[in-house]
Amino acid sequence: MAEIITAREAVERYIKTGTQVCWGGFSYTRRPYTIAREVIRQRDRIQKTFCTMNGGASIEEALAANDLIEWLETTYVGLEGIQPVAYSIRRRVQDGSIPLFEDYSNYGYATRTIAGRYGWPFAPLMAELGSDVPEYDVFGKAGLRGKNAGGSWIDPRIPPKKFAVIDDPFDGWGLRPHAFEGGDSTANKTMALDRIRESDKYTGNKGVKVILVPPILPEVTVIRAQRVAIDGTVRMEGILGPDAEQAMCAKTLIIECEQIVPSDELRAAPELNHLPAHQTTAIVEQPFGGYPTAVPNYYDYDWDWWVSYGRLNRKSKEEVRHWWTRHVVETEDDWDYLQRIIGMKRLFELRATPAYGYRADLKRPM
Amino acid sequence: MQQISDEAYEAYLKERGLSRTQYTTIELLAVAAAREVPDGAFVFAGTGLPLLASMLAQYTTAPNMTLIMEAGIVGPRVEHLPISVSDPRGCLHSSMVSNMADTFGTTALRGYCTVGMLGGAECGMYGNLNSTIIGGYWPGGVSGTGHGPHVRFAGSGGANNIASFADKVLVVMVQEERRFPEQVEYITSVAGQRGPREKKESRWDYGLGRGGELVMISDLCIMRSNPETGILELDVVYPGISVDDVVINTGWALDTSKAKELQPPTEEELKALRMLVDPSRIYLGRKSKREAAAQAK
Repeated sequence: MAEIITAREAVERYIKTGTQVCWGGFSYTRRPYTIAREVIRQRDRIQKTFCTMNGGASIEEALAANDLIEWLETTYVGLEGIQPVAYSIRRRVQDGSIPLFEDYSNYGYATRTIAGRYGWPFAPLMAELGSDVPEYDVFGKAGLRGKNAGGSWIDPRIPPKKFAVIDDPFDGWGLRPHAFEGGDSTANKTMALDRIRESDKYTGNKGVKVILVPPILPEVTVIRAQRVAIDGTVRMEGILGPDAEQAMCAKTLIIECEQIVPSDELRAAPELNHLPAHQTTAIVEQPFGGYPTAVPNYYDYDWDWWVSYGRLNRKSKEEVRHWWTRHVVETEDDWDYLQRIIGMKRLFELRATPAYGYRADLKRPM
Repeated sequence: MQQISDEAYEAYLKERGLSRTQYTTIELLAVAAAREVPDGAFVFAGTGLPLLASMLAQYTTAPNMTLIMEAGIVGPRVEHLPISVSDPRGCLHSSMVSNMADTFGTTALRGYCTVGMLGGAECGMYGNLNSTIIGGYWPGGVSGTGHGPHVRFAGSGGANNIASFADKVLVVMVQEERRFPEQVEYITSVAGQRGPREKKESRWDYGLGRGGELVMISDLCIMRSNPETGILELDVVYPGISVDDVVINTGWALDTSKAKELQPPTEEELKALRMLVDPSRIYLGRKSKREAAAQAK
């Protein structure tokens, strides 16, 4: 049964030094900032985390700026329309203060979460072949993969291999086209099946290749939802990004939300729910807690905040960290942050226009 | 196209200090990329210029295209320019929104990705893109020097995947010799043929069944991959740019024998881009790196 607790309790209980945390949402949408800001408030205790994420690195930029990321397993560390590369992450990777950084592609990571969601030992990924993304194995080079002399995993959070390539046991029969050509062909014009049947890379054998990736099994996944029932049933609104899968991959799942609602409210239309009650470990309620990202149907992202932050984070590490100290570390909790630092007026200005799900007339000057 | 009154456009041009016929580099690139989208296409677009160009294509060359954004968006009718592939603006009146695994799986993997639009930091002669690092890959913990790459970029995101699955890949990039080497330092995305077929270094030799056609839309020219050799060749240069300008800024012996000049953006294209796609000039207002550098001098 899910427990309803404060952000402070959730972070104190589940996030220790070095804990692997998988962060939900994507770029400027439905990101769990209430827990992220609480991690920043507790930065002196936590110090370092193993950060796992897929998508735009908004929360991860904040964590890096507070020197909270030691290992980073990710697909993309840009801030999309605001900044090509999240600057606090970039400079720490370059100067070595983020010592381990494991690259994946979006779909590679998503495929790992499919394996995790369904309890599969691995899942087939048809991308990344021929590229350097699978070839450079940072955790492997750091000696973190596989088993030690005693026969147990060196780091149980890290799979023994980054990837594996096999010959397709079904000879490409299932590479499904969207338009069948007819006859005995299962492929369409854009699939050069004859050519890939000649491939002898990776395995040394001739034939169609399939790259396999292991599941992702984070210690903690944190996601934000609009509504969570008191029993832990979760319903998200709008785009899901990586959340429905990575939530189910986690050993501990923390859901922060706009509001906790009676179970009947979400059970009246269960086909619209995304996570069953038993998946959720802890529920944290914090209205507007996704700020400064958008929570569809509730509020928009704060464009001005992002534009000004995109200038600020180019200053020295010390200045940026000090800015976080004044804006977040010195606040009591997220109510204090939202009311005193941001202000209700700004939050209300961001409320979504009903027919759009975002603020239709939001001004977005550069 | 949606009707825009001439008065409204005139007022807009005046307010923004723009002209009907003159255009910025970013506007030119968006128009050039949009023209590459066939009607009825399924277009996977990343943020920034790719999104700008694919939205323009919806109003011009490809009214029946389906826009796909990898975070989970299929077939939206966008009214306000998204700044992210997960922006709620991108979800408006979508045919479906779901999740990332689903978007790639149900569309790109099954051959629905007609056109993929990407950016990159480096592009090699066979169309391999690097959007990950320059100056060594390994991060400080395993590099042996204590520090990481000289420059770290954002990484693949969905670029590798779109490049793996798209029938045709459009890449929009700033062109400088150092960004267009024969071989990139790190292959983030196999966007073109990858390598010579006779040496068994092509994308097909590595098991990628789809794609191989690359259109490079740089800020100087458009290059296309030769269907036989896979090597990028000069196709068109932009007005005011010479073939020599392109050659100087390319790191391999560029075949320029088929070069012609681009038809400049039409007034209709510019009007749609400005009034319907990015009226706040979130992207259109930005200077290209070349323009910014020229201004700094």
